[in-house]
Amino acid sequence: MAPPQLVQLYRELQQVFTSGNLQQTGVLLTRLKIALTQAGLLVLLGNPDPQDLVIARDILEVGAFWSIRTKDIPSFDRYFSQLQTFYNDFSSVLPPSPREYPLRGLNLIRLLTQNRIADFHTTLESLPLRADALTGNPYIAHPINLEQWLMEGSYSKVWNAREEAPAEEYKFFVDSLMGTIRNEIASCEEAAYDSLPLKDAATLLFFKNQSEVLAFARERGWQVDLTAAKITFAKKTEEKVEIQKEKLILADLHYARELEQIV
Amino acid sequence: MTDVEMKPADEKREEKKTEEEKKPIPLTPVAEIKANAALIERAVATFEPRFTHRVLRSLTHLRKRLDDTVLRDAINETYPSDSPSKKAMLSWLPEATVEQSMDIDSTSQPPKQPQPEPVPEVEIYLRLLILHHLLTSQANYPKAMKLAHETIDKMQSLNRRSMDPIAAKVWYAVERTYELVGDLADARPHFLAAQRTAALRHDDETEASLINRILRSYLQYNLYDQADKLISKTSFPTAAGNPQHARYHYYLGRIKAVQLNYTAAHTNLQQAIRRAPPAKTAPGFYQAVHKLTIVVELLMGDIPERSLFRHPVLEKALAGYFEIVKAVRNGSLSQFQNTLSKYAAEFEADKTYTLIVRLRQNVIKTGIRRLSLSYSRISLRDICLKLHLDSEEDAEYIVGKAIRDGVIDGRIVHENGWMECGSQKGGYGPEVSDVFARRIAYCLELHNQSVKMSCACEMSRRANTCRSSPRVTLRFFVAMRYPLNAHRKELAAAEGAREREKELAKEIQEGGDLDDEGPDLGERF
Repeated sequence: MAPPQLVQLYRELQQVFTSGNLQQTGVLLTRLKIALTQAGLLVLLGNPDPQDLVIARDILEVGAFWSIRTKDIPSFDRYFSQLQTFYNDFSSVLPPSPREYPLRGLNLIRLLTQNRIADFHTTLESLPLRADALTGNPYIAHPINLEQWLMEGSYSKVWNAREEAPAEEYKFFVDSLMGTIRNEIASCEEAAYDSLPLKDAATLLFFKNQSEVLAFARERGWQVDLTAAKITFAKKTEEKVEIQKEKLILADLHYARELEQIV
Repeated sequence: MTDVEMKPADEKREEKKTEEEKKPIPLTPVAEIKANAALIERAVATFEPRFTHRVLRSLTHLRKRLDDTVLRDAINETYPSDSPSKKAMLSWLPEATVEQSMDIDSTSQPPKQPQPEPVPEVEIYLRLLILHHLLTSQANYPKAMKLAHETIDKMQSLNRRSMDPIAAKVWYAVERTYELVGDLADARPHFLAAQRTAALRHDDETEASLINRILRSYLQYNLYDQADKLISKTSFPTAAGNPQHARYHYYLGRIKAVQLNYTAAHTNLQQAIRRAPPAKTAPGFYQAVHKLTIVVELLMGDIPERSLFRHPVLEKALAGYFEIVKAVRNGSLSQFQNTLSKYAAEFEADKTYTLIVRLRQNVIKTGIRRLSLSYSRISLRDICLKLHLDSEEDAEYIVGKAIRDGVIDGRIVHENGWMECGSQKGGYGPEVSDVFARRIAYCLELHNQSVKMSCACEMSRRANTCRSSPRVTLRFFVAMRYPLNAHRKELAAAEGAREREKELAKEIQEGGDLDDEGPDLGERF
């Protein structure tokens, strides 16, 4: 059984967390982590009681949410990897947690904002859900849709979906996601347009006013013609490509050697 | 070109196989087991693992003809009457009814003279047979589990190198037992421990088999991360047989595909197909690999060949995939979505559903590409209608992305709301030479792998078929597709064959000298 002191602290944490006092939560979490380690529940030792495991899991979940609210992504990463033991290995022992899927979804979005698409897909595959049930789960469907839209280029859908986040915490990722999208769009525009009216650029990039566009344009080094209210993109000239002689020679020598072996 | 050339070889192989299969029919299962036991004895006595391999090759079709009586008789006849292992083994089989045993007595005479106790390999082999037999009926699963554990313990305590090939098969049976009982995950610690031991003992066969067992168990539970780590931490023994290699490559392909590394996945899957047993012998594996290959090819932006879907073994199994390929080829999103929902259950069972969902963007890209080729100027609105996109706004972004990704060459004129398509680029430049270099690298890799394989095949055959010139066989990778059990009769000629084999290996090592095969080269590539 967990020491009474730990249970006491845990109750306190729940109260403080629901009241939304972030600073106090942080302090409590640190104390709880020490208590958990002493009780052998943080790094699991022996054969702990399921009841204790639920407490440990709850504390870690609160920690994960707290990390996102304080925008501390590395801390979220740590909490989440500790939680994975509870979600994957103890799934048969413990009652399912209502916060499991929101957290898994958050983790997916985190991977998406960090542009770790391969990890995103690996994580997606290892979810304990049937593939066609994935879209049925709102917490998981959200990152899946985002990824799909990002990949095919339906950026406006991503933009519109930012307010439809299934949980409050998802919005914390919106800002960095929007940054990613703007850069994506900008690089597309550079390639696809010769010139673009300022007003349209603002709508395309989801900016509310011109000054934001101008600041962004300066950042990316676009030429802005203020009198015509137009952005012109530096046309990529057909730069002379150097033929890499060394590479070609190496390749040819390699072919010669291989051919020698075959014949 | 290769297709045409491969056909005659295929036919010949079929003929040979049917010939081969006709011969053992007169043998009763009991007699076959006895003969196998003798072969194992011989293998142990002469340190010749190939006899053991031959025994194991007959395992698949022997397995189907086993029953209680056959096994009991086989045990009775191979073991002396007071042997403890005999009693232990018989205890796994139900007691014989009186009537049956009388029957046996009349047909087969029990040997009068006292037999020596057979080598332990025979016992493990018989246990393997019993295990396979127990797995045929659900009531026996708990018993099979017990037997599996006892056999593993026995194998590990004996620790004999001559047992390795049989041990590899036993591990397969153990996995099957766990899977049928329904807790494959519980078997993983056993496999991992045994894999370590096998690696330390340079027991290649068992290690290969075990790595595949572990990978399979990871993939079954979608633990791609762990599987990936396992692969990076272990090296697959190169001496392992082709079937094990084929499986390993298949699992690798799966993992790489999930990680979006499609090119690597494709290479691995190609290897798996090439090393797999002929389609008719192992249709299940053949189909599974092809399913995955098709999806990966689509994800890479290629369209699989039409002829693949007419293959007799694949035609039915690939029906759903064929529809998907058609949808992708046409670039029609609605067709794609319909197919996806229609075959969802099937894809789900094949574990390709999530991969296929990823194809959505390829469908759009193909669609845009088709439009860009057929129109020199098209309004965004029309694009939106033709590709069934949700809004013009989306169309603009999507086209923009396509231009940036180099799918199409064109510009968007925002003021007029249309897309202008540029002309096709010239076919020269460093990219072209890069593509060409990749192609050549692929061909060379293919050739080298094939040489290695046919070489390995030679080793395992140790046969006297290619009397004319060993290089002739090496030249062509069709050679590796010969069924492994093609030759049974040359027991006596074994010594001679080994001599030739050594010569062959030497010649391979030396890389072969120059001879008059030059003109052939052009055809092969």
